[in-house]
Amino acid sequence: MKVYSKILTGFLLSGLAASGWAQDATMEDVERSFHPYDFETPQTGALQPGVVVTQANVDEIAKDFLDEGMYQMVKDGWVELTVGKLTSIPLNEKYIDATRINLNTATLGEQVGELNGYVAGRPFPTPPNLEDPRAGEKLAWNYRFSLHFGDSGAIGPFYWKYRDMESGKVEKTLKMEFNAYNWKHRTLEPPIPQVEDNPGDLFRTIYMRVDEPFDVKNTQLLIHRYDNDLKRDNAWLYLGFQRRVRRLASGQITDAFLGSDLMIEDFEGYNGRISDMQWTYKGVRWMLVPFYEHNEMVLGDEFKEDDGFQYITFGGKGGCFPNITWQVRKQYLLEARPVDSSHPVGHRDIFLDAQTFAFSRINIYDRGDKLWKMWFINQGPDYASMPANQGRGVPVYDGFGMMDIQAMHCTTAQMRTEIHPERVTPKRFTPQYMRAVGK
Amino acid sequence: MPYSVEKKGGESRADSMVVCMALAVLVALSSFQVLADDMEVAGFVENATYNRESYGISKFRNTAQAEFAKDISGAFNTSSLRFNATLRVTYDGVYDLNDDQWGNKAGGSIMLENGTFGPPVPYGGGAKFAVNGVPTGFPPTLGFPPSTDFTPFFGSPQSPNAMFGLPNVDSLNNPNEGLEVLGAHLGDLNGGVTFGVPVQPCNKDKRGCKPLKNYMDLDKNEMAWSDFNDQQDWIREFYLAGNYDLKSGNQLGFKLGKQQIVWGRTDLFRVLDVINPVDYSRNNIYDELEDIRIPQWMAELEYRWGATNFFDDANLSFVWNFDKFRPANLGQAGQPYQILDAGSLFRGLSNCWQNGCTVSNFPIPGPEGGLAGLGAVDFGPGVIGIRDVDLPDWSLSNTQFGVKFEGLINEIGFSLNFLETRQQLPSLHGDVESIDPFNPFAIANYDYALAFDVEFPRVTLVGGSLDLYWDEIKSAFRIEVAGTDGEEFADTSTPELYSESDVIRWVVGWDRNTFIPFLNKNRAFLISAQAFGQHLLDHNESLGAVVPGLPPPGKVGMAENEDNYLFTLLIQGWYMNDRLNPQLIMAHDYESGHTTVAPAIEWLLDDNWQFTLRANYKLNDGVSKWDDNRAAIPYPGLSAALTGGATTALAGTPSNGSLRGVNPLGRFADGPLGMAQEEDEIQLTIRYRF
Repeated sequence: MKVYSKILTGFLLSGLAASGWAQDATMEDVERSFHPYDFETPQTGALQPGVVVTQANVDEIAKDFLDEGMYQMVKDGWVELTVGKLTSIPLNEKYIDATRINLNTATLGEQVGELNGYVAGRPFPTPPNLEDPRAGEKLAWNYRFSLHFGDSGAIGPFYWKYRDMESGKVEKTLKMEFNAYNWKHRTLEPPIPQVEDNPGDLFRTIYMRVDEPFDVKNTQLLIHRYDNDLKRDNAWLYLGFQRRVRRLASGQITDAFLGSDLMIEDFEGYNGRISDMQWTYKGVRWMLVPFYEHNEMVLGDEFKEDDGFQYITFGGKGGCFPNITWQVRKQYLLEARPVDSSHPVGHRDIFLDAQTFAFSRINIYDRGDKLWKMWFINQGPDYASMPANQGRGVPVYDGFGMMDIQAMHCTTAQMRTEIHPERVTPKRFTPQYMRAVGK
Repeated sequence: MPYSVEKKGGESRADSMVVCMALAVLVALSSFQVLADDMEVAGFVENATYNRESYGISKFRNTAQAEFAKDISGAFNTSSLRFNATLRVTYDGVYDLNDDQWGNKAGGSIMLENGTFGPPVPYGGGAKFAVNGVPTGFPPTLGFPPSTDFTPFFGSPQSPNAMFGLPNVDSLNNPNEGLEVLGAHLGDLNGGVTFGVPVQPCNKDKRGCKPLKNYMDLDKNEMAWSDFNDQQDWIREFYLAGNYDLKSGNQLGFKLGKQQIVWGRTDLFRVLDVINPVDYSRNNIYDELEDIRIPQWMAELEYRWGATNFFDDANLSFVWNFDKFRPANLGQAGQPYQILDAGSLFRGLSNCWQNGCTVSNFPIPGPEGGLAGLGAVDFGPGVIGIRDVDLPDWSLSNTQFGVKFEGLINEIGFSLNFLETRQQLPSLHGDVESIDPFNPFAIANYDYALAFDVEFPRVTLVGGSLDLYWDEIKSAFRIEVAGTDGEEFADTSTPELYSESDVIRWVVGWDRNTFIPFLNKNRAFLISAQAFGQHLLDHNESLGAVVPGLPPPGKVGMAENEDNYLFTLLIQGWYMNDRLNPQLIMAHDYESGHTTVAPAIEWLLDDNWQFTLRANYKLNDGVSKWDDNRAAIPYPGLSAALTGGATTALAGTPSNGSLRGVNPLGRFADGPLGMAQEEDEIQLTIRYRF
């Protein structure tokens, strides 16, 4: 009853005129936001499922559906893209309900990084408007509070390969475990809406452990992100050979993590604070992005898992590109430019999936605004994932590739993602857990 | 052969090694068979070859290490349970490849300074103390054949051998062979006190080994195969780690077995990280603590609240080290790595006690009283030196216990620590029963006499640590502080030549990741600096009294500085996706002025091969001096000799600090950096990981 009354309130509020761009969301906006393909579908021309985009035909059939980096790679023959069907990835109804219930309660504060009144769900379901000077910031908030892992998740095993793009040589293979847990604004799994014992007012915590190879075995990373975005993250690193937990300086989150082509700040697409960037919305694009049904792909058997899970494989130039299908989806182009002038990144062009608000493609430019890295994050619907994930209403990470095209080097990842696994609890996200697990 | 070579014993030890190795393999294999399913196995084989300037190869260490882990969660109703084992086999071929420096051919004949009496004399060629011009002759002095494996027998008239200069055991002599002059490698000893140090392994030359039994009495195989010892150190770790999820939502964790337990937050300095002793014989202070901590059989119980309504993280842990106490391994005379050169000092002193020795530049009374000058003196057995090492037996009361409360609050990590432990570095207790060299029939506890037992006193430690991040300067800080009660230091002003002092130690570490674009635009460099401080609350130091006939008095008391500071700096970079890692480590000792620079480059060829090239250079020469107690008058016989027989009342007069030298106490002022000043090295390590 309470839920319905809140929904009704939301309807009423949604009709009220409000100053600026903050309070004009309607229930139709919510429906459009979560089910965009019920309202519009892409006109892809010849770019139909099964078609392979090659350097021979990319100009003719796909140039408008590729960003400059991907286009050039196809044009140069580094990769061919097989087109897949469009798969709607509806998010969990509880999350959508939370969006409805709390519609228009979230407002931007005076400075970037301030968000007032947010409770749960998607804070700004209104379609972004190029006239709105803070539209980019709202998209960033939508990303932050989206269902990347549901309320908690794990990737394990999580295989990273460092590859020489010229020779294709695999220089290093890491086997890892990655966990994330939301302490507040939870909608799917108890405790809802938040963990009670949370004196630091954490929003989200991330934990990562390296199991192989030997030189970095037992390296663990812990990140505490606070609900107050203006508060600096805290991060700790446990180094196996030192057997100590060390506080990480913030500079280290913009550093190549364990020698890979990723920074800690790159995790999940963007793993920093909203207030660390200037966000600019650049418009809607219909793009070929790495979304697909995992169980429909040609899977490899390089890594054996007890439950029979199989991973996607990689090919193309240097083995840096996933052997998957790409589908045309609605994306919001978002520019993120670091506030800190000493940040190694000039800016990021981020393609934000309009349905899931997951980052699917990112181009990273250096301080001279020259294209530096290309970053794609593969994901797909839960129904095509492992059985335990089915019905979760959460997009499932499946792999990634980060290419440093200046250094001609890439890092690829193959993932076994679990949504809401029992082992991922708040106890896992403390410095002491790192000490207890580490040798 | 003037002294026996215990070949048979050496071979039997070698056989034991082989048996141990076989056993190790069998245990590993049987463990593997039992736990084989899902057993995680990783490890490496490695060769570390170091070359020391002027000495040649100083290390040719070959290591095979295997780490086993198995998840057995659910057993014993645990929420999680894991078995971990680390086995390590090490063989250092330096004792074969460079055996004239470190091995069966090490050392040689030596000459010892003869002060005002003329040119240096050979070992065994010093003066004998005389009474009224007649050498005392007793107890047997150097070169008095047959010399000795002499253990003075005190407290009973039934000690005829000792009384009449005959050996208790008719086995070894004490020739001028296989020796080095204590501290001579540091350069000019400037008229200080020195003596000979037997430097060959104890199976080849037993001199000085017996009093150091089970402490510094390794034979060659035990040095070369250092993991195969009585404590089975080839089992580096062997423990169960698990936890129970309690109904309250909290966790009860435990670790039981042979393990390392690490406290604290700083590198290199051991302020709180003192639960496990460490093995400095591996590479002085320069190896990772992970590799040189000596694992102990311990139990750890930990109650984890996790986040509470007050703390972001909180846990309380109890540590019980129920293993038999083991001191830090300082290295032994004849080994290439000895911290503070202590192994040589100890073995030289032990040999003095066991067999007698020649001591350079020692005060010699004149025939009519007064001081004739400084010269080389032959001391007989049982007069000066180290008599015994008192390693605590195992008993419940000798076990060690610690408590730690650790957590996170307001983004600041903290810990409060308490540890009831023992001093892992040795303390020399004087005032043990010894012989008056002027009267071999007078055996007593002489104040200020240089006759010692080695003790490891009880120490209580209370401390804490913090870590925090300071965003304005993009820096993380690590702080440790600890106060101890019960530590002992050499002190020439006390009759026992040691005294106790409470100690405060602290470390502040600063870490900052900094981009240096012209060196690497994509990867920041880690700049990490640490400052270490030590303050002796009961520091004892004073100016000695004026004594006619001796040089002006100097400071006496503790050689250790009341305050000392060490600084370290690490600059580390990463290239080629962290596969090429240059780094520079510097360490500076503020009081002694010594500095070490250690540049290194590590190359990870692939997932398996790793090459590390490192240099270790010391920038400063020079040694510190301290009162060496030569000016003390411990014996009634000496008192009588100095006064022309007028009185024995001067016995028990402390040193006035007028006679000073590098040995034996200057080394404490020079510290580990200064005492290794002649150990400049190039170090290459090749590792294959699996």
